[in-house]
Amino acid sequence: MKKIYSIPLIRGIVWQVVGLLVGIGIVVGIRAAMGLQATGPFLVTEHAWVFGGFLGTLTFLVGHGVMGDWFKWWRGEITSDHHEDKPGWEKYFGPSLDHKVIGIQYTVTALIVMIVGGTFALIFRTELAFEGMQFLKPAQYNTLMSMHGIVMIVVILLGIGGMMNYLVPLLVGAHDMAFPRLNSFAFWIVVPAAVWLLSSMALGGIETGWTGYPPLSANMNLVGQQTFFLAVFIVGWSSVLGGLNLIATVVRMRAKGMTAFRMPIFVWASIATSLIALTATQLIGLSFQMVMFQRLFGMGFFDPVKGGNPVLFQHLFWFYSHPAVYVFILPGLGIVSELLPVFARKPLFGYKWIAMSSLGIALVGFLVWAHHMFTSGMNEYLRVPFMYSTLLVAVPTGVKFFSWTATIWKGKIDTPVPTPMLFTVGAVFVFLLGGLTGPPNATVSTDLHLHDTYWIVGHFHDTMFGGFMFPFFAALYYWFPKATGRRMNETLGKIHFWLMTPSFFVMTLGMMYIGLNGMRRRIADYDPAMGFQPTHFVLTIAGFLIALSVLVFFINLITSLRNGEVAKGNVWNSRSPEWQVESPMPAHNYEHPFEVVGEPYDYGLAGSKYVEFAKHK
Amino acid sequence: MIHIVVVGILVIVFAVLTYVGVNSVDLMPVQASAQAVPIDWMWNWQVIAISFLFALIMVPIFYSMIVFRRKKGDTSDAEHIEGNTPLEIAWTVVPLIIVVAFAYMGAYSLGESRRITDTNAMVVKVKAQQFSWTYEYPQGFASSELHLPVWKQVILKMEAVDVIHSFWVPEFRVKQDVVPGRVTEYRITPMLEGAYKVRCAELCGSNHAFMEGPVIVSSQADYDTWVAEQIEIASAATPEGRGRKLVTENGCLGCHSITPQPGPSAPSWFGLFGSQVTLADGSTVTADEAFITESILDPAVKEVEGYSPTVMKPFTFTTEELADIIAYIKSLK
Amino acid sequence: MSHTQDKASALKQGVLIGVYLAVLTALEYFIAISFMSVTVLTLVAVVKAALVAYYFMHIYKLNEEHEGGHDSFEYKTGTNRLGLWLFLLSDSFVFGGLLVSRFNLLGLERPHLNQLLGLAVTAVLLLSSFFMNRAETSMAHGDTKGFLNGILITILLGTGFLLGVVGVEWRLAAAEGLTASKNVVGGIFYMMTGMHAFHVLTGVIFLGLVYRNGRNGYFTKEQHWGVEAAAVYWHFVDLVWIFFYPALYLIGTLS
Repeated sequence: MKKIYSIPLIRGIVWQVVGLLVGIGIVVGIRAAMGLQATGPFLVTEHAWVFGGFLGTLTFLVGHGVMGDWFKWWRGEITSDHHEDKPGWEKYFGPSLDHKVIGIQYTVTALIVMIVGGTFALIFRTELAFEGMQFLKPAQYNTLMSMHGIVMIVVILLGIGGMMNYLVPLLVGAHDMAFPRLNSFAFWIVVPAAVWLLSSMALGGIETGWTGYPPLSANMNLVGQQTFFLAVFIVGWSSVLGGLNLIATVVRMRAKGMTAFRMPIFVWASIATSLIALTATQLIGLSFQMVMFQRLFGMGFFDPVKGGNPVLFQHLFWFYSHPAVYVFILPGLGIVSELLPVFARKPLFGYKWIAMSSLGIALVGFLVWAHHMFTSGMNEYLRVPFMYSTLLVAVPTGVKFFSWTATIWKGKIDTPVPTPMLFTVGAVFVFLLGGLTGPPNATVSTDLHLHDTYWIVGHFHDTMFGGFMFPFFAALYYWFPKATGRRMNETLGKIHFWLMTPSFFVMTLGMMYIGLNGMRRRIADYDPAMGFQPTHFVLTIAGFLIALSVLVFFINLITSLRNGEVAKGNVWNSRSPEWQVESPMPAHNYEHPFEVVGEPYDYGLAGSKYVEFAKHK
Repeated sequence: MIHIVVVGILVIVFAVLTYVGVNSVDLMPVQASAQAVPIDWMWNWQVIAISFLFALIMVPIFYSMIVFRRKKGDTSDAEHIEGNTPLEIAWTVVPLIIVVAFAYMGAYSLGESRRITDTNAMVVKVKAQQFSWTYEYPQGFASSELHLPVWKQVILKMEAVDVIHSFWVPEFRVKQDVVPGRVTEYRITPMLEGAYKVRCAELCGSNHAFMEGPVIVSSQADYDTWVAEQIEIASAATPEGRGRKLVTENGCLGCHSITPQPGPSAPSWFGLFGSQVTLADGSTVTADEAFITESILDPAVKEVEGYSPTVMKPFTFTTEELADIIAYIKSLK
Repeated sequence: MSHTQDKASALKQGVLIGVYLAVLTALEYFIAISFMSVTVLTLVAVVKAALVAYYFMHIYKLNEEHEGGHDSFEYKTGTNRLGLWLFLLSDSFVFGGLLVSRFNLLGLERPHLNQLLGLAVTAVLLLSSFFMNRAETSMAHGDTKGFLNGILITILLGTGFLLGVVGVEWRLAAAEGLTASKNVVGGIFYMMTGMHAFHVLTGVIFLGLVYRNGRNGYFTKEQHWGVEAAAVYWHFVDLVWIFFYPALYLIGTLS
């Protein structure tokens, strides 16, 4: 018992529960003393749940110990930067300072939460396979659908956190991130947030979709709505702090000779992502906080009766949530740009253009938010400027696609194609479909028809799979040997790919097809007269096939950890610095620091080198 | 060079095949409004662009992966091509021009779909609430059905009572959110007679999926007949008539059916009065005046089996109004 | 402006900037009561913010080149400084969002507040920034006593600001019927002042820790990143108020 309690994660959760109960007790006590009502439909009032949730988050962090060094600093103590992790699995449950451990913590958490989010999707997908309500009530359907959305967004944020944390210090030749404690903190606050997020299902659920538009989200008499807002608020902070850390790392900790245009392209993508995460995230936090306060204190920000404006919420919300989709996809596109040259054995075509296109997408991304609101009743004269700015995003995105095509052109790709490359090419195609189905939504006139339909659902699943899922899988297959010293099984990897990709195309194309014909988003059931049932049945089958393919992936991952082919060398014959040292990566990264002496992607140029390691430490 | 020519031909063939293939499927519902015409025109150009660009990227990648794949025994790297600035500039500038052209076309088609053809268009007031649509006609009656004469431009002035809804008739193409605290406008010219449905396109609560209502486009003569009927019903002085008017105006019929077939989100009223109703806890209760009154004023007290009571918000009516409503429910059998 | 100037001229510069800020604040008030112009008020606020950012927060230090390796104290301090500024950039989006909400919801109306009190708390916060700058300058020149005194005064003034806003202004507003739940004017007023007061509170706590560590001799002339961080954060809180004060008290007509 004592042994279990000594694991920081367990200790944190115990403290979290205690904090929640204490917080509830305090609020109930105060309300009772003031003569206000203290009980509510969910045992106690929302005030108690929110305060308890807030306090529980703090107590989790204290109990877990991730803030231990900070407390020491506040007391004027000096702590060592040379932090040694215990060998073995226990370090993954504690506040490690090693960016590689944190990267793996992020990645594994993302994979676990992905199972949860995927299961939600399978449940409501099954419900949709037939007309009429079979085994879910509409309210349960709405909750599952909303949870699927927000849980998958958390998965993506965790996944890119994993990729950026693990890779960026290695790629720039740093021994760690700029702020290792902050890094650990940014990961661990996601854990209590995930607890609140999932617990909202037990507290009445959320029926507003992940967008949580008021007045609906403010009127719904469900505490789950509040824990959902609280959870997203906390995850937002994780995102902000992660972005801050990454920018500082890249700006301050690059190896000698690594000028801006000699950075690996993934680093450029991470910078673009982090700039958005650092700044815009605050506005989803603020908008959700305002709804929370509207519910708690009756502040009428979005309540027209009190002079509020529901459309203001949408502006604040989308000011983050549109750039957020670039947060989700840019690292994935960076992975694509990173892997294509390695497998095509050619330089990355137009390196500078690709690097600049990432920044371009990020910056233009700040000016396009209102394209989510063409039908919202906002000022009508805003619609056309936002259409122009949104369509402009197509230009830097196009640069990426053309440059990728030119990189692959005349490249010598192995046959059979290695699994990471399969997923990279898959990412290009899926994201291409996602990208091309974007302009019709950006164009006001066609968007009047397409907005809030299943067409949109198909479109953004394409962008999210092409921009995140496929590259994420590619990255996992590609860097698995770096992290573990073993390779993943190629056959299972190919089964994974060939099961997932066709099913995925069937699913999203089917979604778009019925969407165009009048299938709305976020509906628990559909009008039998519209004749969508056969398509929905096919979509459900496709959904289950995707789940099956991911199951194959998990089997591969777990068996390869123990029994994978041993691979300590430069498995993919890459020029990148992390592959020039033996796998798995040593605890403090490079034993000898390296200096950048050439271009990162000069494949095919005899005798050229990207990095050179110092002889002495 | 030969490769470029082959790929060029393949791109065009593939683009044409994609476009033809996509168009052979019925992608859009019927065009039932004049506003749908410019929107579908724009859509067609989008499909052409999508088909071409999809082919333009996919074909070279596949071609290269097949034709230039690594041959047996070859261990060398590929040709060292770092980039090509004129090419990069070309594929930045050309898409930029195309994008601006598309945005211009988008603005043009938007303008066309908003063209005012009748400055004296009929105004119908729309009230959206969880989970029903109610229409107030200029002739002075309310209905839960939207009847429109064909080829007449109509303005819907829409207001939401509780949360955000969105007015969408897929066959009309145009969609407009209905926001509490403000009036949004929806200008439409139906051009094809038929029965359609308005479908709420903004998640508005538990029964959002079922927030649909009939939209009937008919000839002017049929429309006039219907209006005359409605005026007659609205002026009815019987309790049942007043009750019918009340339940229509308050949106009750958005969820409650008046036929033996119950809707998905609320019990049917057909034959309700005097019947035995099974509650969620398994007990039964007779649907008498007291039960119906309580279920209107405080729906959460007695939960009917199979339906969630939190879906319906409490209503307030005067005693006379309640009597009229119950009289109407009594008449349904 | 170099940061290597001697102590006397550094302190003198602080006084000068403090006077500029005070004059500009008085000017703001005068503009507001004589010819309310949103543009001019915004411009004055931007000038004030620029003065604070440059002379008090030393934003130019971000550009400094550092001798020595990545493990040297100077280099690490540079990294910390960048991290802090990135955090402030991020945080300013919250306050920006609040300002946007305020003008979206209230337009050119403002809540009915006590003008005298508003001017008083603004002066108190400004004065605290001035003393914070004195404290940091003293530390940078090795004057621990001057540093401790400066920090103590800053903490007192910060607490005074908190009492003025949360203790007095909130009560006065509530007594006049402007409660958080009454209407959106109340909502915005309490949200903006509340979020700002929360930052002031964390700043005061931060300063308290710095004061205690400073008394225990934790900081030296060369190594006092903790002091600099507390100072930059404190000035940032002041900088936010530079925009909040006109937005809440000066711009627009009474609602």
